[in-house]
Amino acid sequence: MGSARFWRFLAQRLLKMAAMIVAIAVANFLLIHAAPGDPASVMAGEAGAADPQFMAQLRAQFGLDKPLSTQLLIYLGNLLHGDLGMSFRQGRPVAGLIAERLPATLLLTGTAFAFALAMGMLLGALAAQRVGRWADSAITVLALGFFATPIFWVGLMLVLVFSVWLDWLPSFGMNTVGADYTGWAAVADTAQYLVLPALTLGLFYMAVYARLTRASMLEVASQDFVRTARAKGVPEGRILRRHILRNALLPVITYAGIQAGQLIGGSILVETVFAWPGIGRLAFDALLARDYQLLLGVFLCTSVLTVVVNLVTDVVYAWVDPRVEVG
Amino acid sequence: MSDFVRIFVRNRGAVVGVVVLALVAVIAATAGVLFPFSPWDMRGAPFSPPGDPDFLLGSDSLGRDVAAGIAYGARVSLLIGAVSTCVAVLIGVTLGAVAGYASGLIDDAIMRFTEFFQTIPSFVLAVVLVAIFSPSLGSIVVAIAIVSWPPVARVIRAEVLSLRSREFVQAAEVLGRSRLSIICREILPNALSPLIVLASLMVASAILLESGLSFLGLGDPNLMSWGFMIGAGRSVIRLAWWMSVFPGVAIFLTVLALNLVGEGLTDALNPRLARRR
Amino acid sequence: MSLLAVRGLTVALPAGGDRADAVHAIDFAVEPGESLCVVGESGSGKSVCAAAIMGLLPPALRVRGGSIDFEGVDLLKLSATGLRALRGARIGMIFQEPMTALNPLMRVGEQIAEVLTVHGARGGAARVPELLAAVNLPDPARIARAYPHLLSGGQRQRVMIAMALALEPALLIADEPTTALDVTTQMQILRLIKDIQTRRGTGVLFITHDFGVVAEIADRVVVMQEGRVVEAGPASAILNAPQHPYTRALIAAVPHRSAPPPRADPAVVLELIGVRKTYWRGGGLLGRRSRVPAVQDADITLHKGETLGLVGESGSGKSTLARCIVRLVQPEEGAIRFHATDLTLLDRTGWKPFRKRIQMVFQDPFASLNPRRRVGEIIAEGPMAHGTSRGVALARARELLGLVQLDASVAERFPHEFSGGQRQRIGIARALAMDPELLIADEPVSALDVSVQAQILVLLEELRRELGLTMLFITHDLRVAAQICGRVAVMQHGVIVEQGETALVFASPRHAYTRSLLDSIPGRGWMPPVG
Repeated sequence: MGSARFWRFLAQRLLKMAAMIVAIAVANFLLIHAAPGDPASVMAGEAGAADPQFMAQLRAQFGLDKPLSTQLLIYLGNLLHGDLGMSFRQGRPVAGLIAERLPATLLLTGTAFAFALAMGMLLGALAAQRVGRWADSAITVLALGFFATPIFWVGLMLVLVFSVWLDWLPSFGMNTVGADYTGWAAVADTAQYLVLPALTLGLFYMAVYARLTRASMLEVASQDFVRTARAKGVPEGRILRRHILRNALLPVITYAGIQAGQLIGGSILVETVFAWPGIGRLAFDALLARDYQLLLGVFLCTSVLTVVVNLVTDVVYAWVDPRVEVG
Repeated sequence: MSDFVRIFVRNRGAVVGVVVLALVAVIAATAGVLFPFSPWDMRGAPFSPPGDPDFLLGSDSLGRDVAAGIAYGARVSLLIGAVSTCVAVLIGVTLGAVAGYASGLIDDAIMRFTEFFQTIPSFVLAVVLVAIFSPSLGSIVVAIAIVSWPPVARVIRAEVLSLRSREFVQAAEVLGRSRLSIICREILPNALSPLIVLASLMVASAILLESGLSFLGLGDPNLMSWGFMIGAGRSVIRLAWWMSVFPGVAIFLTVLALNLVGEGLTDALNPRLARRR
Repeated sequence: MSLLAVRGLTVALPAGGDRADAVHAIDFAVEPGESLCVVGESGSGKSVCAAAIMGLLPPALRVRGGSIDFEGVDLLKLSATGLRALRGARIGMIFQEPMTALNPLMRVGEQIAEVLTVHGARGGAARVPELLAAVNLPDPARIARAYPHLLSGGQRQRVMIAMALALEPALLIADEPTTALDVTTQMQILRLIKDIQTRRGTGVLFITHDFGVVAEIADRVVVMQEGRVVEAGPASAILNAPQHPYTRALIAAVPHRSAPPPRADPAVVLELIGVRKTYWRGGGLLGRRSRVPAVQDADITLHKGETLGLVGESGSGKSTLARCIVRLVQPEEGAIRFHATDLTLLDRTGWKPFRKRIQMVFQDPFASLNPRRRVGEIIAEGPMAHGTSRGVALARARELLGLVQLDASVAERFPHEFSGGQRQRIGIARALAMDPELLIADEPVSALDVSVQAQILVLLEELRRELGLTMLFITHDLRVAAQICGRVAVMQHGVIVEQGETALVFASPRHAYTRSLLDSIPGRGWMPPVG
C-alpha cells in the first residue's frame, strides 16, 4: 500500500479507536448508574458506605445531584485528567494503583501471547504438513484438550505438578521475597516465577492458534494459485514458504486481534491463581472488597488495552495484505 | 436426515462426545437419587482422601462430599450453559437478521454496536456485570448472554447477506411473497447449520465462563458449582489435591464433549447442503 | 515424432462415482506448431487429461494405465524432480479462472520472475516487462509492480499466459482459459494465443466446451464424452461433416444465426424511459465513495408477443436493468411503464397485483431453488402467496411440471436430485405458475451445457407461442440472441448503444461497440451444418 494511503488508513483507525474509547468510558459510566441502589453507595462499596464523609466527597466529586448528562461530562472530564476515582479500601487513587500494577500484567500477557502465537503457529503448520498422519492427530487432540480446560484449573494443575510435587518452580508471586536482586539476577529471578503463569495463560491460546493455523494452511493449500505455482515447476518447499504460509497467516493475524481481549481478561484468573501482582489480581482484590471504583477502573484499562491491540493488528494486517481498502 | 446421521456417526470423536454428554446429563438428572442429600451437607471428616467408601472422590475442607458436589454441579453447568446460550442466540439472531436484511444505516448502527461488544474483553465485562448486580443465577445467565451474543449476530448477518442475494430469495421477492415469509421460510432455515455448530461451541464457552466466575467467588451462593469447588480448593491444594482436580476433570470432559459434537455437526451439516449436480 | 502423444490413458475415479474411470483409453497427439482442441461437456474428463499430463491430478484420482510421451519421454514414469523440471520450462499451463489463479500477496512481476528463478534461467526481474509486452499488456512496468487484485480478468489471464510462456515451452496446455472471460476479451486472448503459436511454433492443447472457439483456432479436434474419445480428426472435417452421433448432436445444439422475424403486434407492453441506477462503493469515515453507474438513461420498448434480446458483456448493466423492472432494485430516475402504470411510483403493496403479471427466470440453476423445499412446493408458493389455496396450487404445480416436460411425480423431490437443465425447467414452471404476461429471462441458459441449452431455448420458444408471452431475454451470447430474439438492444457500460431488428443489427451494425461484439463471436465464419 502506498504511504499516502497508509497514513490515511492509520488516521481512520485512530479516529475509530478514539471513538471506541469514548464509547467504553460512557459504558463504564452507565454501568455505575445501572447498578441497583444509589450510585454513590455502589462506588463506595460496602466499607465506604459506612463512612459519611467519604460518601459526601463522592457525591460532590461526581456531582450526583446534577442531571445525568452533566454527570457524564464531569466523568469524562475526570478521565481526561487521568482521574479514575479513589479506592476506599486501599486509600489511594485508582489510577495510581493501576499504573503500578500494569507493567506486571503486560509482562505476563505479552509473554503468554508470544508463546501462544509462536508455538501455536509452529504446531499448526506441522499438523497441516502431516495431515492425516499421527503427528497431525496428536497435535489436534492436544489442541482440543487444552481448548477444553478452564485456564485457572490448568494453572492449579501446573502448580500441583511443578511446585507441590516436583518443587521445580515457585507457585506464587513475581520474585523471591526478601532477596533484593538487581540487574540480570533480578531478571532471572522473575523469569522463573513467570514460567508457570505464562504457560497457563498461553497453553489455551496456543491451542486456538494451532487449530486456526492448521485449518488456514489446509484451506490455502487447496486454492488455485497454489496449483498455478506447481504448474510453474516451483519446488514444494518454496511453495510452502512463499505461497502458502504468507496467505495462511492472514486469518491468524485477524483472530489474534480478536482474541487479545480474551487474553487480557484471562489474566484475572491466572494472576489470582499465582498471586501475580498485576491488574488482574487487583481486580480480584477489588471484587473481594466490593471496591467498585477500582474494579471499573481495571475494566476501563483492560478495554483500552484491547482497543490498542486491535489497532496494532489491523495495521499489521493492512501492511501484509495489499487488498485492504482504505475507503 | 439419515444422511446427516450417517456422516455424523462416521466421526468417532463426535460419537464419544455425544456419549459423554449423555452421561453428564444423566448424572445431573439423577443427582438427587445418587446422592439423596444436599451437597452443602457436612457428611463426615474433612479432607478425607478419595477411595474412601463414604467419600468416593474425597471430602473438602468442611467434610462435604466432592462426588455429590460434582453431580449437583453438573446441573448448574448444563443449566447455565443451555439457558445463557439460548438467550444469546435469541439476541444475536434478531440483531443479525435485522442488520443483514435491512442493510444501510440500520445495518451500520447494529454492526458498530456489535463491534463495541466484541472489543470489550468479555470475561472482564462478565465479572463487572455480575459483581455490580450481585451474583445470582439470573445475573450470571444474563451476564454470559450479554458477552456471548456478538459472534451469533455476525454469523447470522453474514448468512443473511449472502442468502439475500441468492437467486431463490430474489425469486421469492419477485413472486410477491411477504418480507416476513421470506425471512422465516427462505433465509433462516438455510442459515441454521452454521448457527447450530456455533451454538454447541457457545454452550461450551458458557460453561467455561461460568466456572471462571464462580472460581472468583461470583457464583450463585446457593448453588454448588464446579468452579466454586475448584476455588474453594485453591488455598488448600497442598493438603487436598482432589478438591481441585476432580471438578476440573468434570469441566474438561463436558467442554471437550461439546467441542467434539460441534466438530461432528460441522462435517455432517455441510455436505448435505453443498451437494451439487 | 509428435510433441505430445497420449496413448491408452486411463484414470480411475474413487469408488462410488458415476462411472469407473474418469477417462478411459484416451489416445491423441499434438504435433509441434499445431493446435489440438479437446471438446466436451462438463464431466467428459477433458480437464482430467490435462491434469494428468502435468502430473497435477488430485490424490483421489489414480492413473491406471497408458502412457504420456512428451518429446519421447514417458511423463507417467518420470520422477517428481524430473516432472517439476519440465513444468513451466518445457510445458506451460493456463487455467480457467483468472481471478484466483495468482497469489494475492505477491506482485505480478515477482510471480513471473519466479518461473525464471526456479528453473535457473538468467534475467529474472529484468526480463519481466518484455514478457508482459509480448502479451500485449499496456504499461508493462506498472503492471509488473501491481498486485493481482488491481487487474481485470482479461489482464490476469494475459499475465498467466506470460508466465506460462516465459521460458518458451514447446507445449502450452490451456484448460478452458476463456470460459470465464467476456466475449470481447475472449477473442483478444484467442488471437494472442494463435499469434504466439505462429511466432514461436508452440504446440497448443486447448480444452473447451465451445464449438465456436474450436472453429476459431483448432487445427485438429478430439471430441470426448463421459471419459472416452468418440471422434477425432482435422478441424474442417469434424466441424463440417461430423460422423459420431454425439458430435453431431453437440454441433446441432450450437445456436445458428437464423433470426426470426419480429412480431407485428404494435401494442406496447413495457416501456422504459430514462432509467438510471447508480451504485455507491466504499465510504465510511474519512473515506471516499466511488460512483458506479450501473444503468444510465435506458430507453426500451417491448411489444406484445415479441422477444426482445438485451445483449451485453458483464458490467454492462443488463442484469441491473432487469432487476429494476421487477423492483429488486429501485432506480433513482426514470419511468418504467407497464401498460399504463408507472411501476417506479408503486410501493410494496401497490406492486403486489403486478407480481402476477411480471415474472422472472434466473441464471444459476443451482442457486435459484431453495435446497430445503420440495419442488412442488417451490412452484406452488407464488400462487399461495396471492391467496390460492394449497391444494389448488399444488395441483396446478403438477400441471406445470408436465408443461415443462418433467414428470408430475417429481413434485415430491428436492432440488439437489435434479440436473442443471431440469432445475431450470422447474424455475420456468415456477415463473409460469403466476400466469404472467411478461417474462424476463436473465441469462437462463448461460450456466448450462450446450446440448441442454438448446433444449431449454426450444422450450422457451414453444411456451412463448402457446401462452402468448412477451419476453425480455438477457444474454451475453450473441448466437443465442440471434436464434430466438426478434429485436435486440445492445448495452455497454450502462448505456443502450443500439436497438432494432435482430437481423438488421447483426447484418449491418451502426455502433462501434456492436461491431466489435459481432467481431468477437468465435468462429463466426463457420456455419454449423444443419441436420
